[in-house]
Amino acid sequence: MIVRRTTLAGALALTRAEIADMFQYRTQLFIYALWSVIGPIVYLAVWGSIAGDGDVGGLRQSDFAAYYLTFMLVTQLTVAIEIYTFGPMIQQGELSPHLLRPMNPVWVAAARNISYKSVSMLLMIPLWFGFVFILRPEFSVTVGSVALFVAALMLAALLSFLVGTTFALLAFWTTRSYSFWEIWVWLTFLLGGQVAPVELLPGFVQNLATALPMRYTLGFPIEVLLNRLDAGQLALGFALQILWLAAAALTVRAVWRAGIRQYSAVGA
Amino acid sequence: MRITRIVAAFLRAAVLKETAYRAELVGNLFRSLTGIVVAIGGLAVVFSHTSDLSGWKLEQAMVLMGVYYLVQGIVQTALSPSLNEVVQEVRKGTFDYVLLKPVPSLLLSSTRRFVVWHVADVILGGTVIAVGLIRLEAQITVPMAAVFVAVMIGAVAIVFSIWLALTTLVFWFVRVENITMIFQLFFDTGRYPVEIYPFWLRQLLTFVFPVAFITTVPAQTITGREPLVAIWLAPLVGALALLAAARFWRIGLSRYTSASS
Repeated sequence: MIVRRTTLAGALALTRAEIADMFQYRTQLFIYALWSVIGPIVYLAVWGSIAGDGDVGGLRQSDFAAYYLTFMLVTQLTVAIEIYTFGPMIQQGELSPHLLRPMNPVWVAAARNISYKSVSMLLMIPLWFGFVFILRPEFSVTVGSVALFVAALMLAALLSFLVGTTFALLAFWTTRSYSFWEIWVWLTFLLGGQVAPVELLPGFVQNLATALPMRYTLGFPIEVLLNRLDAGQLALGFALQILWLAAAALTVRAVWRAGIRQYSAVGA
Repeated sequence: MRITRIVAAFLRAAVLKETAYRAELVGNLFRSLTGIVVAIGGLAVVFSHTSDLSGWKLEQAMVLMGVYYLVQGIVQTALSPSLNEVVQEVRKGTFDYVLLKPVPSLLLSSTRRFVVWHVADVILGGTVIAVGLIRLEAQITVPMAAVFVAVMIGAVAIVFSIWLALTTLVFWFVRVENITMIFQLFFDTGRYPVEIYPFWLRQLLTFVFPVAFITTVPAQTITGREPLVAIWLAPLVGALALLAAARFWRIGLSRYTSASS
């Protein structure tokens, strides 16, 4: 994708404006951040209580603590909010003024996504350190794994954004796009590394989770950071992540083009 | 009785409204079903690594999950639609019209809206409980069932009280649309037995934000597990919570000043 310089400047300006806008909703963002922090605690407690003083499939209590503490940050940084931000824009006809601008309105969604994450992270970090203090995780990270983690995290956030945008764009055709999105969220819960690290899923389901895109929006970066993968699994993971990213980019493009052709604002 | 006639009228209106959107209804039912299947799938994953989750067997944990969905269904059918409306009305000042009607404001505020299709969660939750109990080959005696029903009523009373108290905050802070998210946040911890949580969280979930009484205690009663706390406490906690929440509502109500004043 070739991005023109004017587009880039526009996107930066948009993001600045969105960040300023986002600061109005501090309480709301704090509650969302709280959500990202408390949610994983349930599954940390489940696995922690099963592990006890021993281990589950090679993972000890401190490993689960590290996994789900990383999960808190990763879920907040990769979450797709487009179904709430971009979907309603299409449904309520607010898309129209954005169509007059010399850049694709998907950039508006991207700017909002980035600003949401930057502001909510500010609110979340103190909470997160509180939990690190309580849960005493054991992070067995290396310089290499951190570097690869950053790459996997960025790709995951991008993939998640593209998937979220695709579901939001369904609003061109149906008022029920939210229901489709919910099914995706549930699949991510099961196969993406939330209910359990993917390595703990039973055989067949684990293969499914490795092949499908959900893991690459959430669980994969965590596994990379905590050195849970050997070289072969790492290479396969990144290859699949990039593959799904390419597929998602093409899908967004196709769905946008088809949708915009039959878009008519409310009242038109 | 007049009050039952009023509630029945609201209920009838809700059913009529829902039957106008039949395709929507089918979609929603499918969604409820998928939600429960995913939740049970999660349990299956957890129990593929153990047969004992803090003393709970798979079937017992299933019963607990069923209780969670049953309560969740009741909340979304009967509690949250009405109380969410209060939040909107206080913000806009249209809450005046509730106060002007010759019916106690609390009754009107908590029974005006029903989202009927969420009854699906109640039915599915009940089914999951039944399946769990059958697989346990549990011997359910009449007194046990009676205690279970009493404990469930206590659980619903607790949920209603918490939700009402959170809603009442609207009289002070006006913009509290998201406050119910806090409820859901804590309620989600009730998908699993409270025994799995670390000590501090278990205390919090038993005494401060009594999720333990909402899912763990009812599931313990019916699956014949050693109770975590004296079971007779559950209806008592429910009654106390109701009284406290109703009192809080009255205090909040006295602060209501409509929109323009």
